[in-house]
Amino acid sequence: MTQTFQQDCVELLQQQHQRGRISRRAMLWGLAALGAAPALRRPAAAAQGKQELVLVNWGGIAMKGFDEAYGKPFMAENPGWTVVQDSSGPSAGRIRSMVESGHVTWDLCDSSAASATLLSGMNLLTPVDYGVVRKENVIGPAFAVEYGAAPYSFSNVLAYDSSKFPTPPTGWKDFFDLKRFPGTRLIRRDARTSLDIATVSLGADPKAMYPLDVGKALKRIGDIKGNAVYWNNGSESEQYLRTGEAVMGCIWHTRASVLERETQGRIKFIWDQGMLQAGIMVIPKNNPGGAAAQRLLASMLAHPEPQVALLKLMGNGPTNPRAAEMVPPELRRLNPTDPANVAKQFYLDETWWGKNYQDANAEYLDFITG
Amino acid sequence: MRRELGWWGLILPAFLLMTLVYLVPIGQVLVISVTEPRLGLENYERLFTSGSVQSVILTTLRIGGLTTLIALLLGYALAYKVTMSPPHRRRWWLLAVLVPLWISVLVRAFAWVTLLRREGLVNEALLAGGLIDAPLRMVWNEFGIVVGMVHYMVPYAVLPMLASMGDVDPRLLAAARGLGAGRTESFLRVFLPLSLPGVIAAGVLVFIFSLGFYITPALLGGGRTLMAAEWIKLQITDLLRWGLGAMLATVLVVAILATLALFSRVVDLRRLFGAGS
Repeated sequence: MTQTFQQDCVELLQQQHQRGRISRRAMLWGLAALGAAPALRRPAAAAQGKQELVLVNWGGIAMKGFDEAYGKPFMAENPGWTVVQDSSGPSAGRIRSMVESGHVTWDLCDSSAASATLLSGMNLLTPVDYGVVRKENVIGPAFAVEYGAAPYSFSNVLAYDSSKFPTPPTGWKDFFDLKRFPGTRLIRRDARTSLDIATVSLGADPKAMYPLDVGKALKRIGDIKGNAVYWNNGSESEQYLRTGEAVMGCIWHTRASVLERETQGRIKFIWDQGMLQAGIMVIPKNNPGGAAAQRLLASMLAHPEPQVALLKLMGNGPTNPRAAEMVPPELRRLNPTDPANVAKQFYLDETWWGKNYQDANAEYLDFITG
Repeated sequence: MRRELGWWGLILPAFLLMTLVYLVPIGQVLVISVTEPRLGLENYERLFTSGSVQSVILTTLRIGGLTTLIALLLGYALAYKVTMSPPHRRRWWLLAVLVPLWISVLVRAFAWVTLLRREGLVNEALLAGGLIDAPLRMVWNEFGIVVGMVHYMVPYAVLPMLASMGDVDPRLLAAARGLGAGRTESFLRVFLPLSLPGVIAAGVLVFIFSLGFYITPALLGGGRTLMAAEWIKLQITDLLRWGLGAMLATVLVVAILATLALFSRVVDLRRLFGAGS
C-alpha cells in the first residue's frame, strides 16, 4: 500500500492542475519530466530495426509530449533513438518477476536506493557504468551509487500546524515531545525515515547513527504511538495535516510546500534535520536496450535545465551541480538540494537500509499495528 | 447422451479460459509458498513460530468476525422489513439496499472519513449538541474499519436472507398466531428457524468477503491495522518475500474453501451464488 515518492509526484501534479494553479501545458510538461507518459508497449521494436529505450515510471495517465525532459535531450543527441515511457510502476516486486521470467522489456526504472540494494543483492540489476555516466554530474555520492543514479532528489521534512504552536518545533526531538507540543503525530507507515527520526530525536548524530538500533528506535516510537497516525501515500499525508487531524508530521517536502502555500502558512515546515533521499534509477539485468540505457541515464543527469523546470513545477530537487544556481531566488527556499538547505539536512544511509529494510520494516509494522 | 455432450462442448471454451488464465497462474503462485526461499515447508512453519504472522491472522479473523456479526444483525432486520412489506414497496426497499453496491468502495471509504474524523460532521454535531466534550475517535482505528466494512457488506448479507425469508410460507405464521402464539413467539419459533438457512448462507458469504478486504482497512485504519490482504501485498511487492506472501495467500484460499466445504453440509451453497431458487 505504501506509495512511492514518484507515484505521489504524479498525483500532486494532477491535483495542482485541477485546482487551476498550473496550466494544462505545464502539467503535461511536468508529467513528461517525471517520465509519466502513457504506457506505450514496445511494438516489436527490435523487429522493425528501431532503436528504442523504455523508461519506466509510476504515472498512470495517458498523455503526449512524454519525452520533454528526459527523453528529448537524449533523442536530440542520439539520432535514431526513441525513448518510450511506460507508466506501469517499477516496484521491486515487478522488476524481480520481469527479470526472473526472462522477458525483460524495461531499460531504466525509477526506483529507490534501498530497492537497488535489495534487487542487486538478488543479482537482478546491471551496475551503472561510470565510464559513461559521469559522477561529476551529481552533487553528492548518494546520487551515484553502484546500482543506480538519481536525476532528482526529495526530502522528508518536519511539517507542523503553526496555529497550534506559538513556538515552532526545531527538530525531531520536539516532534517526540508530547508535553511541549501536544497533539496527533503523523509518520510514514514505513520503517525507513520513521526509525531514523526516532533515533535522531534521542540526540544521535545523524552522520554517525548507522547502523540503527532498531529496538531502541521502536521503543522511542512507542512514546508517541498512542498519539500517532500513519500515512501510506502523499495525498493522505496532506489531508491529515490540512484537516487538523494531525498537528505535526514527517512528510515529503513536495507535499509540505503545497500545504504551506495552500493553507496560507498555517502549515509550515522546516528543513532542519530533514532527510534527503535520491530518486535512484536502476537498469534491470538483460534490459532490451543494453548499454544504451547507460547513455540515457548519463543524459538525464547531465542536463540541469529540465531538472530546474521540474523543481519549479513539482519541487523535485535537481541533482546536477550546475542546477542550484539556475534556480530563481524565490524558489531556492523550496529546493531540497539548495546548498543552504542541504546544510541543514542529512542523508539517509541507504546502504544500511537496503540491507536491513526487510527485517526492520516487518518489525516496525508489527510494532505500530500491534 | 450426444445432446449432453453438446452442452459440455458449449462450456468448454469458458472452462479452458478459466483454467488457463485463472487457475493455473493461481496454482503457480501458491507453489511459490513451498519453493521460496528454498524447497520445504519453512514458510508454513512461520504460522506457528512468527508472532507477526499470527497477529495478522488474528486481526483479520477478529475484524472479519465482528463485521459478519454486525452485518448479519443489521441485514436480518432489513431483510425482515423488506419481506414483510407489500410488493410495491418491496421494490423500493430492494433498490435502497442495492444502491450502495453501485458506489465505489473508495468513495464510500472517503465519505466515512468525512463523517467520522475529528473535525467531521458527526463529531461537530455531537459537540454542538453538548453531548460530548472532546471529539470521539471514530476513525483511524478498528472501529472505523468495521464501520466501513459493515456498510459494504450489509447488501451482501441482505440478499441471501431475503431469498430465504421469501420462501417462508406466510400461512405458517398465521397458523402459529391462530394456535395462540404471540408475535414474538411466532417469530422466534416459526419464522426465525425457517429463515436460518439464509442467515447461515449470508454469514458464510460475508465472512469470506471480509477476509480479503484491502482498500477499506487501508483507508480507514489510519495505518494502525494490518489485515491479511495488505500483508500479502507488502511481502510481494515491497519486501520481495514471495514465499511468505504466497504462504498466507494459500492459507487464505484453503481457509475459504474449508469454510465453504463445511457449510455446504448445512446450506445449499448453489443458492449462495445465485443458482436455482
